[in-house]
Amino acid sequence: MPALEMHEVNKVFGTGHTMVEALDKTNFTADSGELIVVVGPSGSGKSTFLTIAGGLQTPSYGEVMINGHNITQMKEKKRSHVRLHEIGFILQASNLVPFLTVDEQMTLLDKVKTNNLSEDELQDLYQSLGIEPLRDKYPSELSGGERQRVAIAKGLYSDPSILLADEPTASLDTDRAFEVMKMLNDLTKKRNKTTIVVTHDTRLLDYCDKVYAITDGEIQLQQREHGNS
Amino acid sequence: MFLAWKEIKYNKLRYTLITGVLVLVSYLVFFLSGLANGLEQLNREAVDKWNADGIILTEESDINLPRSNMNIDDFNGKGVEAYAALGQLNAIASVGERQSNVSIFGIKEDKLIMPDVTEGESFSEKGEVIADDTLQEEGFQIGDELEISSSDTVLTIVGFTDNARFNAAPVLYTNMDTLQQVRFGEAADNNEGVVNGFVVRGDNLADVSVDDELQVVETSTFIENLPGYTAQNLTLTFMIYFLFIISAVILAIFLYVLTIQKVSMFGVMKAQGIPGKYLAKSVVAQTFQLAVAGVAIGFLLTILTGFFLPAAVPVAFDYLTMLLYGLVLIAVSVLGAFISVRTIVKIDPLKAIGG
Ligand SMILES: Nc1ncnc2c1ncn2[C@@H]1O[C@H](COP(=O)(O)OP(=O)(O)OP(=O)(O)O)[C@@H](O)[C@H]1O
Ligand SMILES: [Mg+2]
Repeated sequence: MPALEMHEVNKVFGTGHTMVEALDKTNFTADSGELIVVVGPSGSGKSTFLTIAGGLQTPSYGEVMINGHNITQMKEKKRSHVRLHEIGFILQASNLVPFLTVDEQMTLLDKVKTNNLSEDELQDLYQSLGIEPLRDKYPSELSGGERQRVAIAKGLYSDPSILLADEPTASLDTDRAFEVMKMLNDLTKKRNKTTIVVTHDTRLLDYCDKVYAITDGEIQLQQREHGNS
Repeated sequence: MFLAWKEIKYNKLRYTLITGVLVLVSYLVFFLSGLANGLEQLNREAVDKWNADGIILTEESDINLPRSNMNIDDFNGKGVEAYAALGQLNAIASVGERQSNVSIFGIKEDKLIMPDVTEGESFSEKGEVIADDTLQEEGFQIGDELEISSSDTVLTIVGFTDNARFNAAPVLYTNMDTLQQVRFGEAADNNEGVVNGFVVRGDNLADVSVDDELQVVETSTFIENLPGYTAQNLTLTFMIYFLFIISAVILAIFLYVLTIQKVSMFGVMKAQGIPGKYLAKSVVAQTFQLAVAGVAIGFLLTILTGFFLPAAVPVAFDYLTMLLYGLVLIAVSVLGAFISVRTIVKIDPLKAIGG
């Protein structure tokens, strides 16, 4: 059973003149242990694709299955439960709570959900992201890149089976961007997760198992000469 | 609650301001309730002291003691457990420069109205009075010879009693003869037996039969009809209730503005899967914390102010009423938070996160 499965999904905004097909009819699957990059220019439908995959919006047509559960039919309350337990989001805009320190961002998840990372695992995560010294800082005291890395830590802390990242490296320099990708790749492999990264940054393709290109809402698997495995 | 408290700690100024508003409102509410209570006591103390169930007045008096006039033989105590005739006169008493409004009670040395003497002794001779001890606080003393307005009679204070004010004036208790003398002077003999009412104690006042011109009025009705009493109470109660509404509205607006500011933050948390219920609970819990803090500080400030108030300010705190009002304030504040709860529940995480 694939971790994520999209069946005949499309998304249309508006009607008549103003109609935009943000996502064409899409069939897509992602398995455990896979790191997938979806690359495309601005406005091509990356965020639309990712938010539908994560149950943040419903498709106009078609079905989305997460670990075998059809989330398209679910009420928001139930989908929110699936998001909390199955999905880790790393959003384009910073997703940190301004009045919580780095550590407290994680504690918040402890308040609403069990089975998060252990203290040791969190420590490792912090270390690999290079944010260990920042644990007691507030988001306003962090640089853009540091915030992004904390956001990644937050996305991983709940130990989701699927990790969805929207431009996770947008505010990072090349070295950091590579490091983050390497880390996402490691985590995906070690913890057998499904990671989907959408980006316009073509530098990131070296670290993934599959590359999809998206243009004008049309998503297509790219053939590559060599993977990284 | 984790989120609620962390946010308060992080935005100290903001939440101090909100709490400050609550402190001021609750201070005002507590103070007004003290004032209402104090003014009430000022009016009814002497009546409460009778511990009576009712009073017999004339029909045409419009439940106003000074305007009720009857003869001491008009009621013989049929159908009641105990009764006492009461003559009453409003006057101004003065000794030299010092003067005060007084209410003179003419009584028989009947147990029902006769006050306990807390200092000095009881009246026995004509012209002797027991005075309410607020007169003592104003500087009147035992042995003072009081000149009474519009009368040649001089009254002498022989003792003091406590909690004896009637319709805001300290009471002078004396015997019927003395009151007659004050009231009618030379003509006292021609007006023998004139009293203003009968204070009665009994279970079935409705069954007590009196002359056609007379009526039996329950004590609570009598008090409500004291001049100014109900108007005063209504005004203050109205102000207090209005303050409840004001605090609810202020807090609701404050919290709503804050919530609007935090829409995208809440949206992000919802996107992550944090239940809207948790976030809503957090806002309510936060309001509760702020309200409790505000009301508690307001309460302490009120008590503190009470210590420094001059005796002339008629404030008397009734802690039970204050507790009740405090709880109402907290409740209406939390109610104010529910407008924001609706907003939070309706936030669409997708809109909030952008991208
Ligand atoms: N709520 C919406 N209403 C109408 N049109 C929308 C809406 N959301 C997205 N679109 C349109 O759908 C298309 C795809 O948008 P999307 O946000 O997925 O692009 P993107 O690839 O994420 O772009 P970027 O790299 O700039 O983030 C765009 O043409 C956008 O204008
Ligand atoms: Mg986007």
